[in-house]
Amino acid sequence: MSLRAIKFGILGITVIVVAALGPFLPAKWMTTLTYAQLFAIYAMGWDILSGMTGQISFGHIFFVAVAGYTTGLLNLYMKWPIWATIPLGVVMAVVAGLLFSVPALRLRGPYFSLITLILPLAAARLVIILADWTGGELGKFGVAALCPFSDFKANQYCNYYSLWGLMTGIGLFLVWLSSSRVGKILEAIRENEEATEAAGINTAKYKIFAFAVSACVVGLGGTFSVHINESVFFNSLLSLTTSIEMIVASVIGGMGTIVGALWGGFLVRGGEQVIREVAQLKVPVGSEGLALSFLERWATFIFFALLLVLLFFARQGLLPLLLGLVKKREIRGG
Amino acid sequence: MALLRVESLRKSFGGLMAVKDLSFHVEPGEIVGLIGPNGAGKSTVFNLIMGILKPDRGRIFFKEQEITYWPTYKIVDAGIARVFQIAQYFPRKTVYENVEISAIPNEIFIRAADPAPKTIQSCARTGLCPAEHSPDDDRCLCRTELPGMLPQGGLRRLELARAIGTDPELLLLDEPFAGLSPAEVDEISHLIESLRDEGQTIVLVDHNMRGVMRLVDRIVVLCFGEKLAEGTPEEVARNPQVQEAYLAGGGF
Repeated sequence: MSLRAIKFGILGITVIVVAALGPFLPAKWMTTLTYAQLFAIYAMGWDILSGMTGQISFGHIFFVAVAGYTTGLLNLYMKWPIWATIPLGVVMAVVAGLLFSVPALRLRGPYFSLITLILPLAAARLVIILADWTGGELGKFGVAALCPFSDFKANQYCNYYSLWGLMTGIGLFLVWLSSSRVGKILEAIRENEEATEAAGINTAKYKIFAFAVSACVVGLGGTFSVHINESVFFNSLLSLTTSIEMIVASVIGGMGTIVGALWGGFLVRGGEQVIREVAQLKVPVGSEGLALSFLERWATFIFFALLLVLLFFARQGLLPLLLGLVKKREIRGG
Repeated sequence: MALLRVESLRKSFGGLMAVKDLSFHVEPGEIVGLIGPNGAGKSTVFNLIMGILKPDRGRIFFKEQEITYWPTYKIVDAGIARVFQIAQYFPRKTVYENVEISAIPNEIFIRAADPAPKTIQSCARTGLCPAEHSPDDDRCLCRTELPGMLPQGGLRRLELARAIGTDPELLLLDEPFAGLSPAEVDEISHLIESLRDEGQTIVLVDHNMRGVMRLVDRIVVLCFGEKLAEGTPEEVARNPQVQEAYLAGGGF
């Protein structure tokens, strides 16, 4: 079986499981998984640029912000419908990606990464300076909802499955792209840019293309986030933590594998919630039972400690670890 | 018509003049040796031709078209390919995938030809796969082996395969024998000879004149970035200036 087929297979199984889980999820978990899907989109978007070409961006949340504020503010103040503002937001994110890629690609290694870090910091200041319009750190409510139902549960389902559709579409496209010839070249750039140029490849063109695709994917996620939250919310559109977590998700899942980033997204957003759930349990020890509620406060800490352990044992990430095991078995089986 | 023409090329790094007003040309079908002691500016000349470095002065023509300030990929597309002195490869791609990169067209949106036949051909021409397995056979080591597992000679073959995969009219070989065992030197010379017999034009850099005498039609001797002598291997070997430079620089 080719690697491409394996990736499509894993993607297919994952999205089918996520879709099938929907009706069985308690409200709390449905919200968690809705945001996990959103985050998985961000992580895959990060992966197609940084995971594949090795140009590590710390500032991808910037593209979320450009797309999110564009659609949110145009909808809020100009009363434009969301079917117009969402594409506009995405276009703005792509334009921002293209504008940024040209000077950024002249920089190598840590210089590139540092510049990407400055971008969301500058954008955050701008949002605060323009607080009259943007709502600053508090955000602005009253943006049109993605799903127009008055019933809470119907809305929740609608949000969940809208993001599911977006995530599935993006996942299929990116897995296809990453295993196409373009993907092979992006990987080659990561492994040895000089040799790629020497093979007659215009590496700058490919990196700019990856930038545009990446900004488009992350921007799409950003626009959905705004209309699901019905607000332009600073903490979800310009949080540096989210920007860093995109990297964590991709690294945990396996950089440059796309499907790995998707898994990583679920792991990062879902893992913490699992620990919080465990904290609700009582261990049947003694007559009273041992409450685990003390874990609640430690959930985030425990979660990150577990991630560190995971990275220690599977440095390349989960997906390559799994594929490596499969391959070993194949070789042993002859 | 010269295939490659270099005119009064000059490049300095700070106060060091690495290439000083160098002119030479390469005719189609020729093998030219660019010879000189270490630090004579040979690799710099290759970097200037490939667009990796920009010259301070001078011009480079390929098939009578000026390519002086072109980016590398465009120079490769025009028909010049280069094999690096220190092997440059993709460590996590298989040998086959390493060669495949040069067979992939430089187009994102246009659906172009399948790179497989070209890749297989390049592997076969450079003997990357043993004769009993053709490279399209899944049992061929090319398909599973990573470049890190190859001996030095194998890496040189890999680089040659990737270079000829771009269909070069001119092949630049930077010290193709450096770091090879005597047996590997023989193998790679045979490979270069077979490419020459197929009509491939080659410029070959080496600091050792004796090793390339047999392979080349013409030699350009560099010393401190300047052209010291030019001619057939016999003429150059008899040249007193060359002998002096080499003796002064530690001998042949």
